[in-house]
Amino acid sequence: MAVVKLDKIVKRYGGGGPVVVEDVDLTIDDGEFMVLLGPSGCGKSTTLRMIAGLESISGGTLSIDGRVVNDVPAKDRDIAMVFQSYALYPHMSVADNLAFGLRRRSIPGGEIERRVKEVAAILGLAPLLARKPSALSGGQRQRVALGRAMVREPQVFLFDEPLSNLDAALRVNTRSEIIKQHHRLGSTMIYVTHDQVEAMTMGTRICVMNAGKVAQIGAPLDVYWQPANTFVARFLGSPPMNLMDATLTAATRRASSPALDAPLARWSDGVLQARDGRKVTLGVRAEDMAIDPAALDGAPGGRVTGRTIAVEPLGAETLLLLELPGGGEITARLPRHVTAAPDQEVELFFRADAAYLFDVETGDAIAPLETGAAAVRAAVQRRTH
Amino acid sequence: MAAFLAAASGRAPLPRLFSRGILALVLGVYTIYQLGPFLWLATMSVRTTAEISADPYAWPSPMHLDQFRTAWVDSDFATYFWNSTMVVVGAVAVLTFIGAAAAHALARYRFRGNRLIYGILFSSIIFPPQITLISLYQILVDYNLYNSLFGLALVYISLQLPLTVYLLEGFFARIPQDLFDAAKMDGYGDLEIFWRIVLPVGMPAIATTLILNFIQLWNEFLFAVVLITDPDKRTLPIGIRAFMGDHFQDIGMIATGVMISVIPVIVVYVFFSEKLIRGMTAGAIK
Repeated sequence: MAVVKLDKIVKRYGGGGPVVVEDVDLTIDDGEFMVLLGPSGCGKSTTLRMIAGLESISGGTLSIDGRVVNDVPAKDRDIAMVFQSYALYPHMSVADNLAFGLRRRSIPGGEIERRVKEVAAILGLAPLLARKPSALSGGQRQRVALGRAMVREPQVFLFDEPLSNLDAALRVNTRSEIIKQHHRLGSTMIYVTHDQVEAMTMGTRICVMNAGKVAQIGAPLDVYWQPANTFVARFLGSPPMNLMDATLTAATRRASSPALDAPLARWSDGVLQARDGRKVTLGVRAEDMAIDPAALDGAPGGRVTGRTIAVEPLGAETLLLLELPGGGEITARLPRHVTAAPDQEVELFFRADAAYLFDVETGDAIAPLETGAAAVRAAVQRRTH
Repeated sequence: MAAFLAAASGRAPLPRLFSRGILALVLGVYTIYQLGPFLWLATMSVRTTAEISADPYAWPSPMHLDQFRTAWVDSDFATYFWNSTMVVVGAVAVLTFIGAAAAHALARYRFRGNRLIYGILFSSIIFPPQITLISLYQILVDYNLYNSLFGLALVYISLQLPLTVYLLEGFFARIPQDLFDAAKMDGYGDLEIFWRIVLPVGMPAIATTLILNFIQLWNEFLFAVVLITDPDKRTLPIGIRAFMGDHFQDIGMIATGVMISVIPVIVVYVFFSEKLIRGMTAGAIK
């Protein structure tokens, strides 16, 4: 059990080399499942490797349970890590792979055997203990990798994209297995992924990273429904949030463009007045778009018009891609019966409380009146279909 | 349709039988081509020179197996064999350990001059070893290592080290970094990781260099004949040369001597090639 605290952590390669992680402030509470989420090259794996002790820290302070560990070797941090490639020792049996780390720590042979058998029983590896990694399937190897971390009973578990090499079905199973083990062990876990589904389903909190910096930290639904900036808004959600250029008019409390007209019910007069007549970015999630105005239940709503680029029937739903007159594309997630001809003009509707506003220059969200749990609750209960 | 009917009746289709037959024929011819000289040598090793001169290709009758005893006892082959074993086994052991350690360092650690050292090592493979013969001779004389098995072993190590490092570095560089990181997380230091991870995982490459070095050095003649003059310190290739006079060559005893010298090479190859194959079929880690 441990609290991991990153205070202004920086990673720079070489003396004057590029900064790949910049001023990361992050506290992972005892027993928390923190997901570091971001695209390739955003610095999430480097951050994890600095926590592990596999990369040196160029600046800032890393502490575990109040003890600064910047210069503590990996082996003395009491951390276990599960790698994307599993990193099983190919010349050792499953049992030896599990016991390898314990042997180094001078744990008595009987205790090692007990722990290996216990973990093997929990993960269903008991019949495989004598096998070499080459004789295991991908899912079995991943369970051995997980077992190798569990058997050490460390303070902190680190996961570096552990499900990336598994097929879709195995990924779901192994995801459940890791969640189950987190509930069972109650340990602090830090999990790196670029997969938003993994982040949303596994994390107690998510730390979204972009270009070496923290873009937003929060509970999965908070981050999804209250994105701090356009990067988070686009990165979380599939299809990504639709972002449209508009001009704000404070007097009528509307954002509009040739294709778009949206009431701005969620922002204070002061916020709107400060941006009166200026360009803003208006965001609406694909699932908050409706093709039938009746879906708005009579509430004030916005509308956007575009020409059909593509219709993607997915079975349970249909994705409609539109091109806007002023340029740009938007996607709507609509009921499965919706169809549209190519290049047909289509009008879509959305509720006023489904709209987000972002600053055009910084990309930062313009805070609405209602934030926090209430806003998330309202968003979850919002229905457009 | 023919293939379907053949499959249905449990027989291989005709084209496949034909291609297999061709393959077997080619392999058979190649095996005879390779094995023929060796078998001829084996027959000559149990015949006298007079018998060989009378009919070089005749079957040995009677078999003079006592030629092996004569070579081993009367012609000091036991001494030559022991000398070769001392020099080659010692040199190969040191080569394997130092070569693997150097290859691991070059493959795994970033340090200033890494590629420069690698380049210098690699460049020494390009030049023929004979160009170093005179300078090596002088160095060994200066350090009282001339006419010494230890000196010869040192020369062998320096001759084969670049190729050993070159071959092993290429293999070690392909061992995934995650394995090293996992071992670090498991609590192991650099030296233990080399011993417990790099050497076992790199065993196919190590076995390859071990076989290559052993065969190369066991048969090495040029440096041995220049740097060793004392009859008691001769290695096997120089010992065999003793049967070659200016006017008379004892072909039978030369063949016997060659057979004695070939046996360890075969043993080493058979033993380590099995390890090699086992290592190669161990499978990837992903």
